Amino acid sequence: MQINKKTNLKAWKRAQEIGPNKILKILDKKGLVGRGGAAFPTARKWGFAKDAKADRKFVICNADEGEPGTFKDKSIFQNNGETIVEGILIAAYTVGAKRCFVYLRGEYEYLRKKFEKQIKDVLKKAKTDITIEVVRGAGAYVCGEETAIIQSIMGYRGQSQYKPPYPPVEGLWGKPTVVNNVETLTCAAQALIFDDWDPNLRLFSVSGNVTKPGVYELPLGVSMKKLVEIVQPKNKLKAMSFGCFGGIMPIDYDMIINNETICKEDCSHGAYTIILIDEKQNIVDICLSIARFYTYESCGKCTPCREGTIRLLNLLKKVKKGQATKKDLKIMDEFARHIQETSLCGLGQTAGNHIITALEHFPKDFEVFRHEN
Amino acid sequence: MKIKVDGKNVETNGKETILDVCNKLNIEIPTLCFHKNLFPEARCRVCLVEMDGKLVTSCSTKPRNGAKIITNNEHVLKARKRNLELMQPETLVCSKEDDNEICQIYKQVGMDDSRFDQIKEYHPELGDAIVRDENKCINCGRCVQVCGEIQNVYAIGFQGRAHNEHVAPFGNKKLSEVACIKCGQCIINCPVGAISERSHIKETEVALNDPKKHVVVQTAPAIRSSVGELFGMSAGSLVTGKMVAALRRCGFDKVFDVNLGADITIMEESSEFLRRVKEGGTLPMITTCCPGWILYMEHFHHELVPNMSTCKSPHEMLGMLTKTYYAKEAGINPKDIVVVSIMPCTAKKFESQRPEMKSGVDYVLTTRELGRLIKRKNIDFVSLQDEKFDEPLGISTGAGTIFGASGGVMEAALRTAYELATGKVVEKLEFDQIRGDKGIKEGSININGTEIKFAVASGGKNMEKLIKNKEKYHFIEMMACPGGCVNGGGQPIYSDPETVQQRMEALYEDDKNKPLRKSHENPIVQKLYKEFLGNPNSKKSHKLLHTYYTLRDRFEAKELKK
Repeated sequence: MQINKKTNLKAWKRAQEIGPNKILKILDKKGLVGRGGAAFPTARKWGFAKDAKADRKFVICNADEGEPGTFKDKSIFQNNGETIVEGILIAAYTVGAKRCFVYLRGEYEYLRKKFEKQIKDVLKKAKTDITIEVVRGAGAYVCGEETAIIQSIMGYRGQSQYKPPYPPVEGLWGKPTVVNNVETLTCAAQALIFDDWDPNLRLFSVSGNVTKPGVYELPLGVSMKKLVEIVQPKNKLKAMSFGCFGGIMPIDYDMIINNETICKEDCSHGAYTIILIDEKQNIVDICLSIARFYTYESCGKCTPCREGTIRLLNLLKKVKKGQATKKDLKIMDEFARHIQETSLCGLGQTAGNHIITALEHFPKDFEVFRHEN
Repeated sequence: MKIKVDGKNVETNGKETILDVCNKLNIEIPTLCFHKNLFPEARCRVCLVEMDGKLVTSCSTKPRNGAKIITNNEHVLKARKRNLELMQPETLVCSKEDDNEICQIYKQVGMDDSRFDQIKEYHPELGDAIVRDENKCINCGRCVQVCGEIQNVYAIGFQGRAHNEHVAPFGNKKLSEVACIKCGQCIINCPVGAISERSHIKETEVALNDPKKHVVVQTAPAIRSSVGELFGMSAGSLVTGKMVAALRRCGFDKVFDVNLGADITIMEESSEFLRRVKEGGTLPMITTCCPGWILYMEHFHHELVPNMSTCKSPHEMLGMLTKTYYAKEAGINPKDIVVVSIMPCTAKKFESQRPEMKSGVDYVLTTRELGRLIKRKNIDFVSLQDEKFDEPLGISTGAGTIFGASGGVMEAALRTAYELATGKVVEKLEFDQIRGDKGIKEGSININGTEIKFAVASGGKNMEKLIKNKEKYHFIEMMACPGGCVNGGGQPIYSDPETVQQRMEALYEDDKNKPLRKSHENPIVQKLYKEFLGNPNSKKSHKLLHTYYTLRDRFEAKELKK
């Protein structure tokens, strides 16, 4: 796998030789974009922070991988921790930061000891005064959002903040801050020295009713058919979901997986998380578990997400009990869309997707409980 | 920068938010969590408008160049209504008596009943000054922001996550268990009435109905320019006479004026100050009229105890004189006298229960409670004929009136201190440097060759700033509420930001029109000292009119052992 190729401090040395401007040029040319989900060009993000004038700047490595069905960052930590550190150093060097943080998902505590040792070793070999601290999250999903991470590191409630100002201009303690995903930073180091580095190779976290779930490195443009062949479903597949926030679609074997196709399906592309669901499942059950997730993980700050997610969950429970009326389903659809439209951050803006898509594509699954009773 | 608002071309400077632009155009957008003095957190999502087809919160969004903004199409109106519906508390009743801000918004958007069940199940907290019912709360967060960003107290924050998020002190403690200065700024900034004062109306009514009790009421300086608002009068209407008349109709036996208490405070405080200057006592001396400030000091600034004046607050002084001097004069057993203070303040409720006050005042009603009491008695406030305060404790000066505005105590004290110390008449009574709505004000005056520097702060953050620079000054006035008592936590809840200024101006106007404007010229003050107290700061006045301070924990309400 390309992502597991070690850079062995060569990237760090190269970075220092060529200087920040050239680094940005190379990353731009190689087409590196954020791998956390938003696909923002990395060179541009770093450029903003580099050009911002401030006495202090910071780099945060976002390792708060909390999206259900996503576990790619974990595999990078397990296989290529040193290169993550090198990526962080290069980011810090490029923007002019001296202090860096790794915001580690609370549940990944078991990865911490090994990674902290790797940090120590790499920093020693790299001979730099840049420091890297590991900060452990407390298990809140919303802290994967960059402004919430910043709040959390500063010791405040992990809640999203209104943007702008964007972190590269005003982040940690009001200073320019680059927040990048683990995979992005690792790729940054690799892209700098490997001539054959391919921006189209992405990590796919595949799970669900399949016999071989796991992390796969596949090129963008791979077909769903090919992917399904690799992971071997247990039964005939019925639906696919690109992470919780991606909604639930009928399985489409002809689908070509890339940014455009996934976005056309009206859902966020996320970090190439694919959950495959077979015919034995009822979609309402899937929705219930996703709704439980959102209801628990909403930070509580803005009204639609705080009050809306619990209402959607309660309505789904009603469906499951066979008590939901047509009017209830209509309210569900209305408010799922409303939460998406009026929420403050990405969590709320996707919190209704599963219900909108499920109601559209699998209406029979919602009816079945009523017939049972 | 050019934008289009509801089809109209508008020029904007790029710094204004969409809400600012709309306000200028007189387009009314409902807002809930927005407060002009606070950072727009955009929590409530009620002020939605459409910008280029997408819904955005107008309070926090600056328009893009060329943006098309629509404030009133179906899409926008329905989305606003849905968010209000989601947070609609079941327990909220929009009655005529308590016209909460949210009720006005409901009217504005044409609110229907919520389609959802109530999910909140909290136990209301009955504190010693402040009562909270989280079931009414809609999590707008204004109380949290005011408590922290403006008052610097940080007594409350958000606890819990998702739909369990609620406002409470850290660790889900009760408000009465933590370091809270009871200023009540959270109350006057709450749009739903989820926070309110601990009511003393019932106790007052019991006393009024008891024929054996002689119930005396005394009214604070700051309420005469605000209580009229509760009866539909404009802000800053001076209604002293109507207020006295209404109180008599409520059944109070005597109506006294805390302005007189203020005059006596000035006599005690300026004498204490002059003594400190003369004898080299601890300076700067800091005023102690504000019980919110006293709690602030007791919790967070123990080092300032020597700087504090030992004077009680005006209403406690007057209450004490009612139960001693007046009781003797009128031949009433002090035990049968019940003193009720009408205050613009919630912290006074706590103050009146302090053991060191020795029950000079029995109950404290806020301005709002007074309004409720008058309405309950079916008194037509607006058409009442003016009446005068009762003798002997009803004569006061303009110096007492201006206690209600930030800077007023200092101004009144300087008028008297200057004349007591120099024997000369003060040239200009108005100390313009310490008037107005600035958070920190300062000035200086030459008394017998010494340049006395004084400063005034109101609002927690400003008090904190002034404490850092205290060494520069001789005399400092502190008021916990921004603007002073005119903006106190017990005052009528207002939405027009001009209100505080208007209340303040009315007090200064009242002072200007008074025949007596210096505390030491008040004949009843002179009589009191001559016949009863002796000199200011005498042994007797120390016993009755002065107090001491209790050190309290930084985080909890508990007292520290000495």
